[in-house]
Parts: sequence; C-alpha cells; structure tokens
Amino acid sequence: MKEPQIIVCAKQIPDPEAPFSNVTVNVEKKQVLVDAPDVISPYDENALEAAIRIKEELGGKITVLSMGRKVSDTVLRKTIAAGADALILLEDPLFEGLESNSVAYVLSCAIKKIVAYDLVLTGRQAGDWDSGQVGLILAEMLDIPCISMARSIKIHDGAVVVEKTVPVGYEVVEAGLPALVTVSNEVGELRYVARSKMLGLLRRPMPIPKWGLKDLGDNAERLKKVQLMELAPPADMGRACTIIEGSTDEQAARLAAVLKELR
Amino acid sequence: MSEILLLVESKDGVLDKKTLELIRGASGLGKELGIGASAVVVGNQTAQLAEEVASFGLAKVYKLEHPLLEGFKPDAWVGALEWLCKQIAPRIVLMSHSFVGKEVAPRLACRLNTELTTDCLALKIDPNDGALVRTKPIYGGNAIAALRCEGLPQMVTVRKNAFEPAEQVTAKSDIFDMAPAIDESILRVKSIKTVPEQVVELDKANVVISGGRGIVDKDDFQMLTDLAAAISKALGNVVMIGCSRPVVDKCWMTSDRQVGLTGTIIAPDAYVAVGISGAIQHLVGMIRSKKIVAINTDPSCNMFKVADYGVVADYKDLIPALLKKLEG
Amino acid sequence: MTPQRAMFWKIEDVWLFYVIAFIALGLFTVGVAIHIFVWRKSAPHGKTSFSWPALKHSLMDIFLGLRVFKGDIPAGIAHFLIFWGFVILTIGTTLLVVDDHLYHFLLGRNHLVFEVSMEIGGLFLSAGIIWALVRRYIQRVPRLEHRLEDAIVPLWLLAAAFSGFLLEALRLAAQRPPWGNWSFIGWAIAGWIPQGVAESVYPDLWWGHALLCLGFIAIIPYTKLFHVIGAPAAYYLHHSEEKSAGASLAPMEPGDSLNPADVAVLDACMRCGRCVQACPSNGAGEPFSPRDFVQAARHSLWLEHSPAGDIRFLSKQRPIEDKAAWYCTTCAACLEVCPVYGATFEAIARKRASLVEEGKGVPDLMNQTLERLFNYDNPWVSSKRERGAWAKGLDIPVLKADGKESQLCYFAGCTTSFDARAQEIAKAFCGILKHTGVSFGIMADKEPCCGDIARVTGELGLFQEKMENCLELFDKYSIKDVVTSSPHCFHTFLNEYSQTPFRVRHYSSVLKELMAEGRLKPKNPVNSTVTYHDPCYLGRHNRNFEEPREVIGSIPGIKLVEMSHHGSESLCCGGGGGRMWQGTDLRGEARMSEIRIREARETGADILITTCPLCLVMLEDALKTVGLEGKMKVMDLNELVLQSIEQ
Repeated sequence: MKEPQIIVCAKQIPDPEAPFSNVTVNVEKKQVLVDAPDVISPYDENALEAAIRIKEELGGKITVLSMGRKVSDTVLRKTIAAGADALILLEDPLFEGLESNSVAYVLSCAIKKIVAYDLVLTGRQAGDWDSGQVGLILAEMLDIPCISMARSIKIHDGAVVVEKTVPVGYEVVEAGLPALVTVSNEVGELRYVARSKMLGLLRRPMPIPKWGLKDLGDNAERLKKVQLMELAPPADMGRACTIIEGSTDEQAARLAAVLKELR
Repeated sequence: MSEILLLVESKDGVLDKKTLELIRGASGLGKELGIGASAVVVGNQTAQLAEEVASFGLAKVYKLEHPLLEGFKPDAWVGALEWLCKQIAPRIVLMSHSFVGKEVAPRLACRLNTELTTDCLALKIDPNDGALVRTKPIYGGNAIAALRCEGLPQMVTVRKNAFEPAEQVTAKSDIFDMAPAIDESILRVKSIKTVPEQVVELDKANVVISGGRGIVDKDDFQMLTDLAAAISKALGNVVMIGCSRPVVDKCWMTSDRQVGLTGTIIAPDAYVAVGISGAIQHLVGMIRSKKIVAINTDPSCNMFKVADYGVVADYKDLIPALLKKLEG
Repeated sequence: MTPQRAMFWKIEDVWLFYVIAFIALGLFTVGVAIHIFVWRKSAPHGKTSFSWPALKHSLMDIFLGLRVFKGDIPAGIAHFLIFWGFVILTIGTTLLVVDDHLYHFLLGRNHLVFEVSMEIGGLFLSAGIIWALVRRYIQRVPRLEHRLEDAIVPLWLLAAAFSGFLLEALRLAAQRPPWGNWSFIGWAIAGWIPQGVAESVYPDLWWGHALLCLGFIAIIPYTKLFHVIGAPAAYYLHHSEEKSAGASLAPMEPGDSLNPADVAVLDACMRCGRCVQACPSNGAGEPFSPRDFVQAARHSLWLEHSPAGDIRFLSKQRPIEDKAAWYCTTCAACLEVCPVYGATFEAIARKRASLVEEGKGVPDLMNQTLERLFNYDNPWVSSKRERGAWAKGLDIPVLKADGKESQLCYFAGCTTSFDARAQEIAKAFCGILKHTGVSFGIMADKEPCCGDIARVTGELGLFQEKMENCLELFDKYSIKDVVTSSPHCFHTFLNEYSQTPFRVRHYSSVLKELMAEGRLKPKNPVNSTVTYHDPCYLGRHNRNFEEPREVIGSIPGIKLVEMSHHGSESLCCGGGGGRMWQGTDLRGEARMSEIRIREARETGADILITTCPLCLVMLEDALKTVGLEGKMKVMDLNELVLQSIEQ
C-alpha cells in the first residue's frame, strides 16, 4: 500500500509532573501559575511514539500540529528530533483560552488545508485540563471514523487496527482510512530525544509554517472561549492526623489496633 | 426545551451506581429549574432495566431500543442519542464521566452543536439566567474552575461520588418506547473481538492498601500483599492493592490499580498509603475514604496532612512488625 | 667433531619449504595489515608519537607479564611459561636460519647452549599449554570460554612443540652424535627409537613439523593469537596516550572517533574473562558480560571498516541485546584486572551514546530521569525549589553571585540534596566544618548538577550543557575552591570537565587535611568495629584509598577491619553508571548492594562506613532488605567523625 500520511496533534502545557507546591492559583486574575517548564502533553507524546512506530514499519510522513497563542518551537521541535517530518504551528492571539469545540474546529480547518492524510492521532486527553474532548470532536468535524483509548495501533490493507482499552480488558477494532485514533499511555513512552539532536535542530534553520486564523478561513465568530467564572485552589482536604509514635514495635502494635477497629 | 436528560449505564443488567448518583443530581437541578428529569436507557432489550430506572421518581424514562445498540458500539450509541435529542430537545444532558460517557458525550455535543464540560465535581444553576454552572478540577486537581458554556442542550459529564445515589420511590415513571432511525451504515468502526483481562475493581474493596514512589523495589509489593492478606483475615473483608501513578509509570502495576485522577476514584472504609507523598492528583482519588492511614519516612509529606493516622517510619521495618501484630 | 647441525639434513625439495614459508609469512603480513587498516580507519584522527617512557613501560608489561599475574597467579604462571617458551623457540629458530644462511656460528659450545635453551623453551611451552588446557577443560575455571579456537590454538601449539621434540629425537637416534645428551629430552626419547626407523620417518615428520610451525605463523592474525602483536601495541599506545587521572567513560561527542589505544585494546582482547570475574553486575547474576561487550564492539569495528569482514574465523560473534548496555555500573573493576588495560569502558560508552542518539533503546526510567535532569537540573524531583532545603535552620552561609570573597564552596550534589538519608551527609559535614571554624558556603537552591549522570548514561549533549552551566555559575559566583559530597561530582569536575578552573576535593580529603592541621581532633571514643566500603569513584577511579582510612583510624576506640574485597578490588554498591535511577527494571539473581552488605557483615563489623551518597543510600537499603537492620549500621564517614567530636 502507499505510505501512510499521519497527523499528530500535540499540545504544549506546563509540566504536569511538577509537584503540588509549584502550582499557585491566582483567584483574582483567575489564573493558574505553574512554576515548571513547558512540555508536550504526555498522552500526545504517546501518540507521536505510536506514529513513529508506524512510520518505522511502513514509511510515510508524520506531520505534527500544535496550536495555541504562543507555541514554543523549542518545545515542539522535540517532535521533529524524535522522528516527525514536519511541524505546523497554529498560532494566533485569538487561539488563547478556546473551549474544546473551537480548538477542534481550528484543528479541523488546518487538517482540511493539509488535504492528504490517512490517520490522525491525538492524546486521549491533555495533561492540563484533562477534558478528553478535542480528539473525539475533531473526528466528528472531519467526518471520519473515530477510535478512542488506543493501546496499540497498526495499519494494514488500508485499514487501521487498534487495540483499545475497555473496562473488561481490551477490544480489537478496525476502521477504514482515513481515521482518527486517540492514544493512551499503554502505547509506550516517547523514545528519548538526545540533547545533541535537539541542539542540532535548533541550530539548523528550518521553516516552520505558522498558520493564524486568517490562513484557516478567518471565521472569528466560530471561536468561543472558555467562560471561567471562578478559579479556586482545591478545598482543604486536611484532617487532624494522629501521628503514631514510638519504636517500630510500638508503632506496629498501635497501628494494628487501629486497623482492627475497622471491623 | 423542558427536561433534563441523563444517560443510564448498567453492567450485566445491573444499574450502575454512578447512574443513581446522576438521577439524584438531575432531580435536584430539575426542581431548581422547575422542569422534569428524564433518563434514557440505550440497548437492544432493555425493558427490565427501564422498569428499574422507572422506580426512582423520574418524570420519564426513554427506552431507546434497536438491535444495533446491543453492547456498547460508540457509533451506534452516538447516532441514536443524537436522534433522540433532536426529537425531545432536552435542556440539559447529563452523563457519568465513565468509559461510555467519556466517549459518547464529546461526539454527541459536537453533533448537537453545543459545548460540553467533562469530569464535573458539582453542578448548580446560575440564578440570573438559569445556565448550568459546572465545577471542574484542572491542572491535576491543583485548581478548581467554575465554568459556564453556551449552546443547548447544556451538557456535562459528572465525576463519580459528586452526588449521593438516588433512592427508590413508590411511584413509577412513564416509560416511552423510542425506535431510533439508525441503520448499519452508521457503524464505521468494526469490532473484531473483545479480549477479557483480569481487571482489578478497586472500588469493590473495603480496604485499599496503596504503594507509591517510596516503594523502592517491585518485590516489596509482596509485603503489601501479605499485609492485605493479614488484614483481610483479621477483619473478614475485601482488601485490595492499589498504587499511585509513578508505580504504573515504572510498569510495576497495571493501570487498573492506579488510584487518582487518571486512575480510579475510590472511597473505601480504609485507605492505607505506603510511601505515597500525596500529589494532589492522587489525593483526589482517595480523599473520600472513611479512614486514611499514611506510612511514610518524610514527616512533612502531604499524605500526613490528609490522613487520620500517620506513622513516620520506613515501610520495610514497619510492615513486617505490623504483620506480626495482626497475626498475633 | 665439533657439535653442530645441518639445517636441512635429509630434506629434499628445500625450495618447497621456502615457497610454503613465503605463503605463511604472506598470510601473516596480509592479516596484520588488515588489522592495521582497521585500526587506522577506526581511529582516523589518532596520532601516535614515539615516547621513551611509554616504550620502557610497555617492555616491562610485556616481559614481566605483571598485568597477567595480577589477580590470578596460576594463570600468570601458565602465561609466563608459554610466553618465554615461545620467545626462546622463536629466537632459537631465527638463529638457526642465520646460522645456516648468513654466518655459521652455532658451533661447539654455542651449539650446546643453543640445544639446551631450545629444550628448555620447548619444555616451558608444553608445560604452559598443558596447564592452560587443564585449567580450561578439566578444572573448568568459570571465566574461561570453550569456543572452537580456544581448543584449536593451544592444541596446534602443543602439536608443534611435541613434533619438535620428536623430530629432534629422530635426528639424534639416526645420527647418534656424542653431544646428543645435551638435548636432554630429545636424547631420552631417542633411546627408544631404532636407528633405521628414525632415518626413514625423519623427513616426513620434518615436513609435518615445518607445516605446523609455518601454519602457526600464518594464523596469528586470524585468531586470538593476534594478541602477541595486539597486546604490545595496546600497551605502547596506552602508555603513550595523554590521559586524565581516572578512566574516562565517554568521548565528548557521540560522533567522535575512537583513539588508537582504545582500538588496539579492543582488538587485543583475547577473551580471557578476567573482567567477567571482576564484574559486580555479572557476579550478581545479571545478564551482562564485559567480555561479550568488548567483543561485540571489536566485531562492529571490523564489520564497519575491514575490507574482508571479521577475520577471526574460529570465533563467531554472539549477538548482544541493546539492553545489556545499561547494566554496567562503570565501577572500573574490569579495568583493574584487564591485561591490556581496556575492558568495557569505551565499548559501553559508545553503545550508550548510540542508544541515546537513536532514542529507542533507552529504558523508560532512564528516559524519565534524563528528562528530569534536563528540565529540573537534578535526577530526583520535578522541581528545583527543594534543593538546599536540607540546610534549613542550620545557619549555613549561602554564597552569592559576584561575591567578592572567594571561599570554600560545599557542593552537596543532587543525591545529597534530595535524598532524605543522604541529606545527613551534608548536615554532618557542615557540622564538622562549623566546629573547626572553616569559612564556607553553599549555593543552596542555585546549586547546579555536575552532569555526571548524563555523562555515564551516554547523554553527552546534555552533559556538555550541564558542564557549561556549572562552569558559568562557578565563574559568576567566583568559586575557586570546591569540596564535594559525592565522589561522582568530584570525579566529574576533576577528570571529565574540559577545564577545571577551580580547586576541587572530595570531603574525605578535607577531613584528612583538617586533622593534619590539628583543627579537627576526634576525641570521643567510638568503641566499635567498623569496615570501610571504597566508593568506586573515590577509590578505583581516583586512587584515594588511604585518606578515608586514616580519618577512621584517628578516631579513638575504633577498630577497622577490611572486607575481602577492598581497596582497588572493592565491590560496587550497584548505584553507579546510572543504575541508581534504573530501579529494579534491570535485575539479576541478587542485588549488588546486598552482596556487598553481606560481605561487610562477614567481617563482624558493627558499622559499615562509606564516603559516597549513592553507596550510602544503596547499602542502607540493602541492610533492610537482607534483614540485618539492628545488627549493623551503615554510616557516612562524616557522621562517624561528628559523633567523635560532638559534646
């Protein structure tokens, strides 16, 4: 068969691994401040890894799409260093704070502009808002088959065969191409990208197309923002903790008593 | 535009507890808005299930039946629900933030040209304009956002335990048979086979013992297993082993054992956290446990702040000692 | 009659002998030329120059064979016998050719000395080979392999030696010269052979012996025998190379070519397996063998550069899994025992660098660790904030950028900063410094990572960045004097940085100096028996075995006992080379740290002392997992010293 053209959607977010103490909520400005570097959302990295594996087997081309108000190409170039062939940034001040439906709309416009594609991969959800909507809506907008929660993806005979995680185990499903698949972490971590590769890429001038709303139909009325009414730090979950002191033996004895009380 | 519609979920013919919670939530919102709350049962032969749903005091129960709706085929379910919503034009659509809800809700929202908020902790009605205000955790639970969305129906998926489960009433709701106009052409994804795997259902446990990043060796989970056996023997209840995400990341445990935002959210009688520092995304998964016991070497870790009992100790010392005490 | 002998006695068609000799030497020359070709291709930028000290050092290595005796005296003796037997016979045969063709000097007494020497040479060779065969095939010394060439090569040599003796016996039996009994072995055998038989069999056996010997010369470059050329070359290149104090793990750029010494070492490896015996990973039953790694590296050089492929036709290369590269702890135990100063370092470094470059073969945990190192400048937590938290409430001066006064900088390093147990090292050492009134400071949350983990895992681009970052920061803070908590940081600063524009010491040296100056006087007796675990990067890599022991020794009441592996033979705790961050995804039958803690326990010591945060964490952990807690303690040297000075 012909070599598959794969599109991977990748979102840039503050590192979700950052500990609790590095996240502050500004209630007045309704902002979350995360003291952590930007990374590619982990599930999107899984999606890219799945794409690279398909490319290793069948050849083809991987195009990464990333959208936002200010997308850092130093973060996104990691996708090229890992094995993607092209990167397109969808950047416009109007793209800030869009709700999921509008995000999917912008992505669908961009994908329609690319024209030829066989497979669209997204992460099952983004690591910041954890909504899990964009991939599924995007499939609806592109009017192509949609498979969620993939843990393994294979292409053969013009179809995509996916093992998707379901509550009782996994289900093997198949759809004709083009199709959209949302990828779960079971696919495997994105391969390591050596710094020397990243630096080599950063030094080399590489045209990275940036498409704004004007390039994508200029339909500003279609874009809607998230209507954030309030933002609060999480409720205090604290309880009065009784610290069990003493020697290990005493601690064990008292803890055993506590556990036995549960009966 | 005059009703709240909720999607019924069941497993092996048994009504899902999350659906009972949705019924309570929908009824509350309906009262506030002065409109009725209805449920839709999707499937092939659903009479019995619909009967059961009808005993929870809802205004209506829609029985959306079609041979293609047997089992959960997302394409068919989305298509059928789209058809129903276009028939009855509900004002609010509620689903559980479950495997089914996560897949159906976004696609349905798109087809109905409305916006959706997923994984809501709480819902209320804006007294000014009657819009649905959704409370949702973001940034791994480090912030709680209150949102509103445009479009009709107002659509959300709701996290487990957001409402208390509804109780049965004597009056029966009316059941309406609905035959959706769908056919084979709607199915674009073909199911080849389902392979069952042993899946741990942590929410069925009375006691969950979880290990986290502090567990240095995969083999040390054997200690937790021994402890689980000892507690189970002493108390005569169901004790299961869970873990936090770093453990899944290391591939020491499968994701069905993961407690937290991206894993399972549980509320057992007792939760024993071993070597878990208490990242917020983990805390939201177990904070509703009735008793929380934390074992950690770091006295300043978050887990001690949310626990009822804390032991500052190395699990490698404490657990063997504890086993002796439980057995003795 | 003057004692002498004719070289081609009873041999016709001597021209044929010369044709065969020419072919054999031709094969030998071509083989050696291919080796040299491969070396030059593998190390295209390598320069070699003449160095008298290197030559002297190499000649000592060659003729005394000390590297071969080291750690295995029986093997050393076998090698000594074969080596000298071979040398004597080679010189003797050469003299015989000279005598026959150029200048007839093996007459009379010269001839008698020659005959006796040749007897001794033959005896040495045969005895050495038989012993070696016994060790390999009867004693079955575990480190020795049983490949085809392992049998063929010694048996060939033995056949050559035996046929030489027999040939001599036949000649003596036929000629019965009056000086015959000088060839004492041949003479003894000759007594059993009737004269007529001897005369008729002699020519056939002569041809047989000649073919064995010439064939032997021909196969040298094509078998493990190549080490007779490869090892001396490796010695010379090794000794003439400019190098840092410790063994460098990695070249600076992944694409860098090897240097000539590394190539020679890989090519000189004759699979003796001393590295396997010394390797702690192999000892713990992990699927890793330094020898296999070196051989794989050698093989890949040949596949890449040799016009004829790998010419070692009697020894098939076994495939190696990529995963094997991650087992090495870089402890350098193999380096200590390798007869050609080589072992795994270069091979491991290259494999890791290429796996990192490729990306696919990096284990998940290492992938996460390196990402964390890049984003947060430490391998432990996804935040920079908590570095320096250990110093809270201890009233330790924090150094400032552009600080005018340059003073001693205590560089805690990542593990000491973040691990709860290892933090005690920093607290204790700072306590000691304060006690002695030394003026010092820490960089607290501004402290960078030295980059060691990136270097040892082959992430050389990241190492380069970390090094530049460190050098820049030290410059900005005017830091000229650094004392590290970890031997790993110490080693990296001292030996792996492209420049070290500051003084750097490990804390054990500082403790020793403070004691020598009389500023630090342990006085409280610590009535315990202790044993000391040499961290690989303080001991083997930087040859500091004594200072920590002297510090321990100066504490009143203490008794120091040694483990069976100590000093340069110390066993790794299993935490080096990035293994600390590999979790237990790489596993063997036992854990290295548990093997070590059991060894420490066998000394009867109450306390195991170490001087490295990684060792401390690994060994303390092992103490619990083997159930020795309460019976023994693991302490850092600082904690011990502090105990002895505190009121």
